[in-house]
Amino acid sequence: MRELAVNSSETNVEKKSVKHYLSKFGALIGLIILCTVLTILSDKFLTINNIMNIARQSSINALLALGMLLPILTAGIDLSVGSILAISIMLMGIVSVNMGMHPILGILVCLLVGCFFGWLNGILLTKLKLPHPFISTLGTMNIARGLALIVTAAAPIAGFPYLIQFLGREFVGPIPVSFLLVIVMYIIFHIFLTRTKTGRYIYAIGGNKEAAHLSGINVDRVLVIVYTISGFMASLAGLVMVGRVNSAFPLAGLSYELDAIAAVIIGGASFFGGVGTVWGTLIGALIIAVLRNGLNLLNVSADFQMAVIGFVIIAAVYVDVIRQRKSKKD
Amino acid sequence: MKKWVKSLGVVAMAASMIIASGCGGEKSSGGSSEKEGNDLEGKTISVVLKTLSSPYWKYVEAGAKAAGKELGVEVNVVGPASESQVIEQVNMIEDQINQSPGALVVSPTQPSTVVPSLEQATQQGIPVLLIDTDAELKDKTTFIGTENFTAGQEAGKLLASMLNKGDEVALISGALGNTATDERIKGAKKALEDAGMKVVAEQPADSDKSKAMSVMENILQNNKNIKGVFAANDDMALGVLRAVEAKGMKIPVIGTDGTVEAVESIIAGKLAGTIAQSPYDMGYLGVENAIKAIKGEKVEKRIDSGIDVITKENAQEKLEFLKSITKE
Repeated sequence: MRELAVNSSETNVEKKSVKHYLSKFGALIGLIILCTVLTILSDKFLTINNIMNIARQSSINALLALGMLLPILTAGIDLSVGSILAISIMLMGIVSVNMGMHPILGILVCLLVGCFFGWLNGILLTKLKLPHPFISTLGTMNIARGLALIVTAAAPIAGFPYLIQFLGREFVGPIPVSFLLVIVMYIIFHIFLTRTKTGRYIYAIGGNKEAAHLSGINVDRVLVIVYTISGFMASLAGLVMVGRVNSAFPLAGLSYELDAIAAVIIGGASFFGGVGTVWGTLIGALIIAVLRNGLNLLNVSADFQMAVIGFVIIAAVYVDVIRQRKSKKD
Repeated sequence: MKKWVKSLGVVAMAASMIIASGCGGEKSSGGSSEKEGNDLEGKTISVVLKTLSSPYWKYVEAGAKAAGKELGVEVNVVGPASESQVIEQVNMIEDQINQSPGALVVSPTQPSTVVPSLEQATQQGIPVLLIDTDAELKDKTTFIGTENFTAGQEAGKLLASMLNKGDEVALISGALGNTATDERIKGAKKALEDAGMKVVAEQPADSDKSKAMSVMENILQNNKNIKGVFAANDDMALGVLRAVEAKGMKIPVIGTDGTVEAVESIIAGKLAGTIAQSPYDMGYLGVENAIKAIKGEKVEKRIDSGIDVITKENAQEKLEFLKSITKE
């Protein structure tokens, strides 16, 4: 350790640029290396068709991860997003397919259900004072999944109106609408997190909850907003999913919270709160999608894919650990 | 300096891991495309299953790969890590389509979800064959599978052959609304009643062994004269068997599926029989007919992959077959 410390002070000047480079673009470098390797290994990888496939396949997780970023920035977690996705689309299916109501109403139901469950997460955390969001969202995860199974007695719903399918199904030129939605949402969140008071409060709460409270931030209110937004993003991701597969089913989004968390973490956000950017999260989501797609193209078995993604999560966080250790020393 | 080298090392390791996994994948994508050139030259057949992680789907995979080997075409068999990963299956289908396979053989987890991406395939002129589970796809080449109703009928006939006219029987169904098990029960009921048996109890046990055991205990409380039982899957049949044995009774119990556990129980003289779908044949027929479709030959719109009736006479043989096809 001491040896390393000496070493680092010796090469301080040269290293600063490297360090800066790594901390800012670590995940991006990973993504580029990954794409390069896959381009060499598969001649199908770097084709317009496949890139658009990746864009489409990443969009659901990219939306979930963007929502997940907010709780993680406050040093929290949201385990319920996959289940919220399911209950939102099942109720949308009941309204717009089974009951035959206007698709706009169905979309509204979907998004409002998402907001409601997110809000519920926030209330459980701040008003019931459950000790950690892990617990409150673990509870709603099971409640929402149970309800999703109950509402149609586990039967799937298919045959959605075009308007509902639009987001997940259509293209503008070669670009999937779902990915354009991802870009728009990421820009909105970037502005929200960096240019608004609430956005900066979110970072402040993650940095030091007590200090944030003492400096006059209404921590509870911000937390409720954070979880409501996460729930909203889950239902938006559900809307995209329904468009892609023209059906809603109660097990939709099962364990998707884990992919979303992985994307946020690979993207450089800290589990201890206060650190993380939307663009890092986007790269995290893309890394996961590119990995899955690439391994599919190479016909690597799904079991192996899981192991590889697990490895990447650990590697990415390890890079982060080194980075932090270093910044503490500087 | 050392530290950033270290962190780059991690990234490099990740990359090499992926390369390694790529090599592993190439090896596992069995089949050879040496002989039989002409229409099949350079064509591969992509098989996307519900998962590869359960014995049933391993049998389908084994059948598909065996067909590829024997008929000289490269076969890629893929599937998500579990049957609950519905969207992952859709992604896999898209990624296979992207590689322009000669034909696609798919067993959809949630039939409606695969329709949009499979329509893409048929529009590009890729023949799509469905196995095990059908989907409402307009231009599919064929559906290869078994009728659950017929399987139930066979079970009913088998049970009736072990009983006398007028005997009382019980039926154990799966979860309410499970169409596969419901159809089996309907078929069994029809065959039993046609043969003059009396169905005195019909109850769901959610395809679960321990639930079937307690359901059967309750049935036996009220109906002491039951002479035979049919259960819509093997797990339930084994649960029923335990309840029956606990009562000191010896009556025939018939299951469905032909799992290794059930076949072993038959060999041990406990379970009276089971009706098996033929997952291996589904995989084999899927690839065999995919080749026909590529060559432009006619393929039947509906292909029955057959049902096996397993009793003490052929159980040993079946067990050896089940073990041999998964060894590969």
